Order: sequence, then C-alpha cells, then structure tokens
Amino acid sequence: MNRKYAVRSVRLCTKDCLCLYVCPTGATDTENSVIDISRCIGCGDCADVCPSGAISMVPFVYPEQQPKVEKVVAAMDTLLKSKAQQERIAAALPGRLAKALEMSNRIMAEDIVRESGYMLPQSGNSRAFLQSLLDEPQPHKFPRDAVETLLELLA
Amino acid sequence: MRVYTCSLCGFVYDEAKGSPEDGIAQGTLWNRLPEDWECPLCGAAKHEFDEGGDEIETVRTFSVVSDTLPEAKSALEKSILCSNLARGLEKQYKAEEAALFARLADFFKAQSEPADAPAFAHLLEQVDLDIRENLVLANDAAAEAKDRGAKRALVWAEKVTKIQKSILGRYENEGDSLIEDKEVHVCSICGFIYIGNALPDRCPICKVPNWKFDLIKAG
Ligand code: SF4
Ligand code: SF4
Ligand SMILES: [Zn+2]
Repeated sequence: MNRKYAVRSVRLCTKDCLCLYVCPTGATDTENSVIDISRCIGCGDCADVCPSGAISMVPFVYPEQQPKVEKVVAAMDTLLKSKAQQERIAAALPGRLAKALEMSNRIMAEDIVRESGYMLPQSGNSRAFLQSLLDEPQPHKFPRDAVETLLELLA
Repeated sequence: MRVYTCSLCGFVYDEAKGSPEDGIAQGTLWNRLPEDWECPLCGAAKHEFDEGGDEIETVRTFSVVSDTLPEAKSALEKSILCSNLARGLEKQYKAEEAALFARLADFFKAQSEPADAPAFAHLLEQVDLDIRENLVLANDAAAEAKDRGAKRALVWAEKVTKIQKSILGRYENEGDSLIEDKEVHVCSICGFIYIGNALPDRCPICKVPNWKFDLIKAG
C-alpha cells in the first residue's frame, strides 16, 4: 500500500476542532499548526473528521505521470516558445498592463509546459532536465548546489 | 427574454437581469444596449457575444503533422519550467524543494536577454499567431491523442489569449486611459486579466475564488 501522511492547510484550518481529539499519536496538536510528520502513522482519521477540508493525506511516493504523445509535446512546445516570447516582450515594456501581460503569459506558459510532460517534479523528465543543467556549461553564478540538492531530495 | 454569452470569457448577459453594476436596467434588450457597451468581466465588445447560454465550441478539421523534436529550451523557457515545478512542489507541501526551484526560476529569468525594441504591437501580432495557428495545432494534437489534460490547459489558454487580444486591441486605441482609475488583476491559476473596479467572485475562466487573483501594482 502507498503510505501517506497528513498535511494541514493553515489557510483553511479554523483551529477549533476534532482533529486534535481523534489523532492516535498527538501528531495534529502542535504549537505551530504544522502536523508532526514524524509522529503521523497515516491513519487518515484527522482528514475524515475535519469539517473544513483542511487536511490532505499526501502520498510519500507519487504515481508515474501520464505519458505524453510526441506530437502533443511538439505542439505544446511551440506554444510555450510563443508565450515565453510574449513574456519577454511584456517584461521589457513599462506600466501595469505590461506587468499583467507578463504575468499572464508566465502562468499560461507554466500550464503548457506542465502538460507537455513536466507535471511531476519527481518524474524522469524533470530529473533529466535537472541533470542536463549540470551537464551543460553554465554561467559562473549558476546555483549548482540548488540543482544537486533537488536531485537528492526528489530521488 | 434572451441570453448572450461572451465568447471570450463566458460572461452571460441575461436580458431579464440586465447588468445593474454598469447601470443597465433589468429587462434591457440586447439590441438596446449601447453599441459601445463592453463585457463587464473582460471588456470584450458586443460583437464578441453569441446568442444563447452555451459555450460555442469550434470544430477543427485540419491537422498538420509535426515530427521535429523540440528544440533546446531558452533561458526564459527554463525559468518557466522551473517555476512550474516549484508550483507542483508547493502543492505537495514541499516547501524546501519549491524554494530551490523558485531560485532556479529567478536565476534563469535574470539570464534571459531583454527583448529588443519591445512594443505592444508585437504582442498583438504574437497573440494573433497563437489564435490562428499555435493553439489550433495544439488543440488538434491533444484531440487526436485524447489528451484531456493538455486539452484543459489549452481551453484555458485559448480563452485567456483571446482576452489578451481584446485588451491589446483596446489598448491600441485608448492607450493608458484603458486602465486609468481601474484596478488590474491577474488570476494566478489561469492568467485571466481583469481590468475594473468590481472584481468578480470567481475567475470567469478557471472558476477559482478571487483570492487567487493578484493585484498588479504600479512600479
Ligand atoms: S493521519 Fe492519523 S496519525 Fe496522522 S495526523 Fe492524522 S490522525 Fe494523526
Ligand atoms: S479539524 Fe480541520 S479545521 Fe479543525 S482544527 Fe483540525 S485541521 Fe483545523
Ligand atoms: Zn482563472
């Protein structure tokens, strides 16, 4: 079975209720509202009783992401390049409207790249991308350590 | 009484209800609306509306085969990939990993060469190209592959792109008076741009509640 742990959305939590009472290990009752993962045994009782839908049961291991057809990837990539180009133009223009367009294009582009095979940060594609960053020549200020840490954490 | 739906953002004008926010009384017929009346959500002109309550789906009949492999990603595209993965990790409640990807996204954004001779007119051209070609081809590819995830992203992107086109078109005519004394917001989920002072409760495109919107500030 895929083991899970409980995570509380502090934004949705109304901080008054039953999750404190049902947790068999006391993991939900903490001074900073963050559920103590080291105690959580993944029973899911807290999520079941939460009236606000504030607790999610999160898997330790994610399933493989959905496969993508090459043609979809190619078409999405063309669109990504176009949106990136528009973000670049908007970023060089002054004013609030330009800023809104820059942001709007970024958000669309993120969604487009996500649907071209980069949904899951733990996927083979994402890891291959990180590895390619280490293999390619990079400018001197490149945060190599961030990439290396990510490859370890997302293993 | 009839209803008319904005083909850009899906706002429904119901003759029975009018549009009290912009001073249109209940029972005002469509052809009695001023010719320069605009969609209160996205600012589209009257001719962008279709009669009826249902969304109009266009049917594509042609398809182009592409067998070229994707080119290497530019610095800005890498930044976009990284900020997308940062978002994914935020959803997984992995703050440390999300912050690392956000750092990479910032790095690559800074690496990206600024556009030379930037102009709103170029944005309009590019938006047009997306609507005429890039979105059509991507929609075809997604339909053929029965890729509903891609389709979802494309449905949103197509609407937002058309709204950008409408905004850019009006900006060409009106200039900065388009946003003068008005707030500008961007939906952080789909990229919808709202200009006005009566922010809708939900994003008309992706339906998230409006606390997911970012207010754009000057400077
Ligand atoms: S899943 Fe079970 S053990 Fe974990 S916090 Fe919730 S109630 Fe406690
Ligand atoms: S049950 Fe839900 S809303 Fe109530 S305190 Fe627990 S997490 Fe917060
Ligand atoms: Zn939205």
